[in-house]
Amino acid sequence: MDHLTILENKSIFIIREAYAKFRNIAVLWSVGKDSTTLLWLCRKAFYGKIPFPVIHIDTSYKFPEMYKFRDEYAKKWDLDLIIGKNESEIEAGMGPTKGAKLDCCNELKTNALKQTINRYGFKALLLGIRRDEHGIRAKERVFSPRDENFKWNYEDQPAELWDQYKSTAEEDNHFRVHPILHMTELDIWKYIKRENMPLSELYFSRNAKRFRSIGCVPCCSPIESQASSVDEIIYELEHTNTAERAGRAQDKEDAYTMQKLRSLGYM
Amino acid sequence: MSTPKTLVIGIDGAPYTLLSEYMERGYLPNFKRILGSGFNLAQMDASIPDVSSTSWTSFMTGVNPGEHGIYGFMELKYGTYKMSFPNFMDVQAPSIWDITGGKSEKGSTLFDRYRGKVDKTLRSIVLNIPQTFPAMPLNGILTAGFVCPDLKKGTYPESAYDYLKSMGYIPDVDANRAATDPEGFFREAFLALEKRAEAYEHFLNNESWELFIGVITETDRLHHFFFDAALDGSHRYHETFVSFYRKMDEVVGRLFDRFMEITSGAGLFMTMSDHGFTVIEKEVYLNTWLKENGYLNLNPSREFFEQIDSGSKAFAMDPSRIYINVEGRYPLGSVSDNDKRQVIEGLKKGLENITYNGRPVIKAVYGKDALYKGRATDKAPDLVCIAHDGFDLKGNLKKQDVFGTSHFRGMHTRHDAHCIMPAAAAPSERLHIENLADIILAHLIGG
Repeated sequence: MDHLTILENKSIFIIREAYAKFRNIAVLWSVGKDSTTLLWLCRKAFYGKIPFPVIHIDTSYKFPEMYKFRDEYAKKWDLDLIIGKNESEIEAGMGPTKGAKLDCCNELKTNALKQTINRYGFKALLLGIRRDEHGIRAKERVFSPRDENFKWNYEDQPAELWDQYKSTAEEDNHFRVHPILHMTELDIWKYIKRENMPLSELYFSRNAKRFRSIGCVPCCSPIESQASSVDEIIYELEHTNTAERAGRAQDKEDAYTMQKLRSLGYM
Repeated sequence: MSTPKTLVIGIDGAPYTLLSEYMERGYLPNFKRILGSGFNLAQMDASIPDVSSTSWTSFMTGVNPGEHGIYGFMELKYGTYKMSFPNFMDVQAPSIWDITGGKSEKGSTLFDRYRGKVDKTLRSIVLNIPQTFPAMPLNGILTAGFVCPDLKKGTYPESAYDYLKSMGYIPDVDANRAATDPEGFFREAFLALEKRAEAYEHFLNNESWELFIGVITETDRLHHFFFDAALDGSHRYHETFVSFYRKMDEVVGRLFDRFMEITSGAGLFMTMSDHGFTVIEKEVYLNTWLKENGYLNLNPSREFFEQIDSGSKAFAMDPSRIYINVEGRYPLGSVSDNDKRQVIEGLKKGLENITYNGRPVIKAVYGKDALYKGRATDKAPDLVCIAHDGFDLKGNLKKQDVFGTSHFRGMHTRHDAHCIMPAAAAPSERLHIENLADIILAHLIGG
């Protein structure tokens, strides 16, 4: 089996396992490339029709292109779409310029999701996070228990050796399930290419800029890139010397600095 | 008229007391010879906090951190808990070589004093001063010191980079090896010192210059991991430690002789350090103390300072900086401007009362108004602690206990930096690292 098929099989196994164990589950869809890939895998796992709801947490600050894409494919794919909104905070004017950005995320994303979970009583949520996104993700599990306050006790979680997943939860807990945890950014793009998946136009270069990840308008900035097709993005990820890309050059210098400071006990 | 030439050899972390002791023991014949020829060795105070980035910036700008804006190796981006690493672009005051070159877009109180005396023909060679990355164009040559993530971007002009690259210059040793492979670490440290000496002599002899500053970093690295070997004859690496100082003494002696030859004895020669060192008895984790005393809540599912959770009143950053988690300034700020003073007072009292086996840990806690003056005070920590020798104050976020030990053996001291300069140029009052730029400028363009 080729690499992408192995990854796909693993994801589909996890999705079916989660559905079989919990039944009352939902998949989170931000309309970004990772969660759209997850949605695609869910459709494949159940032969086209996803048997559980798809939650989109709407902060009201998403790009217009994202709303358009969401509505178009919710219809095409016959999704049972739940739009989660923290209405009272949106009405009260919460936004990135009002308070601090973290407050905005906390109210419009985290609390909106909490409200939605409470309303529907979901036992597990499928999320499209990937292990290579961020250092803290290295500690993530495929089946990751959360308490009612969403707290993740990363020091006390099941081992998950040899793909044995623990999927029994105590009362009041819900599980976060991460079917594409094992994929990298490049795997995702290669899979998108193989499957000829539709994707928001924001990812492709316009005026020499494209978005590498998408979310709310005020908090996303595009990177310099000429890549205007999936093939070009794959080529860019495989071949571009990261130091040549402004945003990522800074990341590289910061990573070097952090490693140096740590070696002298400053971190 | 005397030649304005100035040579400064920076020796990172070389303590006044250790140099005195080693001279006494006869380990440093060149230092001894220099002191015997009209030079004075003085104990010097470093900036607060006594960390290299802050102290070297104070040296090169001649102003306090309240003016130059560098309070440590890391900061939080305004309005967030995300870390950022200030570099040379974040230095808010002009350096000595900016001042001689009349670069005026950044003002400073020191610059004001020399405004009418700039001399753009003066050429500067600036090698390996920490906090000078990325290299900015100057009349002369610069290669950046710690932290220098990219030697090419850290060196001006490109011909200097080509030279350094071709001769195998080592910008910084791999300190991680000190714990895992000490022999390899020593080999690299000796080699790095040798390469620096070779590069410094090359520029000294083959370039024209009026101001020459060359810094040796390896002493600091050696101290962090092996300072307990400095005076302990039974320590496994005592001989190695001493032989490193002997080698450093040789390098200083060679550069001194060459300088005296070039200037016929009329230039300004100086060696100095950015802080002293002493042996660590215990590391003290300020954030753990803050947690235990109800000032700090952390959410361990996030990373670094983004772990700071709602309800937190204060947090600490390396080395001994305390920031109040003020509303409006930080995303989860929980202290109002009205309550800030009270929180600071409570913290001060609490910190001053920390003890270890009945002994006080912290010598003094300073409020920012007592330490800093200038237009860059908005970034200043609200409190800075100075510990008694032996207690190394740390900003780690993941320690369970307030006190601990690690593989580090040496800690910085504020009061034990050193400076050697001609007795005739030395001020009578106690030296502070912020005074040196003025003394150098007075020699270069003041007269």
